[in-house]
Amino acid sequence: MRYLDKNSVLDSRHSKSGRSSFHKIKLSVLGIVVLSLWACHSGGKKEDAKSGIVIGVSMLSLQSEFIVNVKDAMVARAKELHVELNITDAQRTAEKQVQQIETFISQKVDAIILNPCEVEASSPAVDKARAAGIPIINVNSETKSEPDAFVGSNDEISGEIAMEYIAKSINYKGNIVIMDGYMGQAAQIKRATGAQKVLAKYPEIKVLAEQTAEWDRAKGMTLMENWIQSYGDKINAVFAHNDEMGLGALQALEQSKMKDKVVLVSIDAIADALQAVEDGRLNATIYQDAKGQGNGAVETAIALIKKEKLSSRQVLIPFQLVTKENINNFLKN
Amino acid sequence: MPSGYSKAYKKYLVKYQIFIAFAIICILLSVLTPNFFSVQNMVIVLRQISINGILAVGVTFVIIAGGIDLSLGSVIALTGVVAALFSHPGDYPLIVPVSLAILMGILIGTVNGLTITKGKVAPFIVTLGMMTIARGLALVISNGRPVSNLSKSFNFIGGGNFMDIPVPIIIFAVVVILASIILNYTKTGRYIYAVGGNENAARASGINVNSVKLFTYVVCSGLAALAGIILASRITTGQPNAGVAYELDAIAAVVIGGASLSGGIGSIIGTVFGALIIGVINNGLDLLNITSYYQQIIKGVIIVGAVLIDRKKSK
Repeated sequence: MRYLDKNSVLDSRHSKSGRSSFHKIKLSVLGIVVLSLWACHSGGKKEDAKSGIVIGVSMLSLQSEFIVNVKDAMVARAKELHVELNITDAQRTAEKQVQQIETFISQKVDAIILNPCEVEASSPAVDKARAAGIPIINVNSETKSEPDAFVGSNDEISGEIAMEYIAKSINYKGNIVIMDGYMGQAAQIKRATGAQKVLAKYPEIKVLAEQTAEWDRAKGMTLMENWIQSYGDKINAVFAHNDEMGLGALQALEQSKMKDKVVLVSIDAIADALQAVEDGRLNATIYQDAKGQGNGAVETAIALIKKEKLSSRQVLIPFQLVTKENINNFLKN
Repeated sequence: MPSGYSKAYKKYLVKYQIFIAFAIICILLSVLTPNFFSVQNMVIVLRQISINGILAVGVTFVIIAGGIDLSLGSVIALTGVVAALFSHPGDYPLIVPVSLAILMGILIGTVNGLTITKGKVAPFIVTLGMMTIARGLALVISNGRPVSNLSKSFNFIGGGNFMDIPVPIIIFAVVVILASIILNYTKTGRYIYAVGGNENAARASGINVNSVKLFTYVVCSGLAALAGIILASRITTGQPNAGVAYELDAIAAVVIGGASLSGGIGSIIGTVFGALIIGVINNGLDLLNITSYYQQIIKGVIIVGAVLIDRKKSK
């Protein structure tokens, strides 16, 4: 009896009478799947493809705001230039990404834009495209294998700009805490390295604590609350690897009425962060140019398809420091 | 010697065990870090656990009735986005986003419950499917972007204080009290234990097993919606990618609290202490500045350890 009960958690259709109703459900589920596939398919924009050029795109994750912004910029630019984009979401899985590239190769697309999930694990995607003679462009982040072109920004620089601003704001001495991104990801490693380079120059700045909040706002808030418990007034500045965590930290600081005494800087310049800078709540954020990266990727892909000579295989889109002084240049976007 | 007396005594011990474990962890952390044992930090811990606590109370209902719900993290994201979409300043009175989000939760719970009872599909599968469906819906209605610029009154739910007590703690307390009353003092509560303990016996004694199960899933998703509202309010945005894996922390709290995954056993007070243990560990490890790699290992060991001791002693 007990055994049956336990089993029923995993499989409760052991009665024969349930068969026919199960069959009906199965059919209707199939129907829904077919319908939704058809809906997705007809949602694609084939009519824009006047030039006949098709570019396959594999994005790291369409659940991340920044990546969605890069994608939107690519879609807009592709529409202007009359090329068709075939956009897929790798959902942060390198293996899925490699499969998507394989599909593009068998579809014989004209070029591939890859927004790599991982440095090592996404490399086979680059190798396969190059072996098939299809130009491949990495956008936003890198792979170990070298693509035909790279369009993006050097994340290390963003860490440097942020830490340099913090150092200056606290007169090159004091205590800081650092909120890391998801440990081991390229952006986390590079932003940390950039910050470390600057910190090495200023021995009077002490890092009280460094911990990950996994790019997440709620986690950033919790971590900051706990740090305020531990270090309280000793904290002079906070550096968060992205705006989400920075905004979480901001709320924790405001709740304990400490924001006036603490310098807070984060990276990405998402809409909420720009608003917070304008309101004078967040001291600075670092603008990573999603639009520039998206446009650059599509333009570079077309140049490679047309066999134009690139001036460089690295198209670097610069970071910009956003503070209250220059916020108006960014709010318009 | 399974006499009535020693059985009752053992039950008593099992009941207190979770409290003893919690006390030991607290004492340990108080010795290790001077900032741990203070009223202020306790308030912070309570506020931090209120979201997981509310979720875990809902999961307790489902687990006692012998089911499981994996869709909660996604339900949190979806209901948070729904609430946020209707909470821009000057749009609607607060009651609109709150009731819409709760309705969305109840709807999801109903779909889960009906598919499990009428469709006879295993809870694990149904709620696993709902996990991705709800996440997808959250992304669709938000266009994959956080929904921000929310009204002050909405942000009060997660960030405000009422008589110096953070609002989430008050909501959590109310949820705990109501849930305890339902499980301990109502017919429905007794039916939930009966269904989880032995489904066939419950059916034979005339209990409508399906509606009891449906009720537990509706309660669970409804509470997840409440948690979703609080989370969105706390971080002042509806995040379509919020709440990933929150259901696992909630299930962990329920299991640490003494519930059995095969149903029939569990209590709200145990779940509350389960959530508290997870909360003080998170808080304490941050206060001690233990690197995140070790934090993960320590957390896992404590979860399994707590349950292991519990099972050994209650045999």
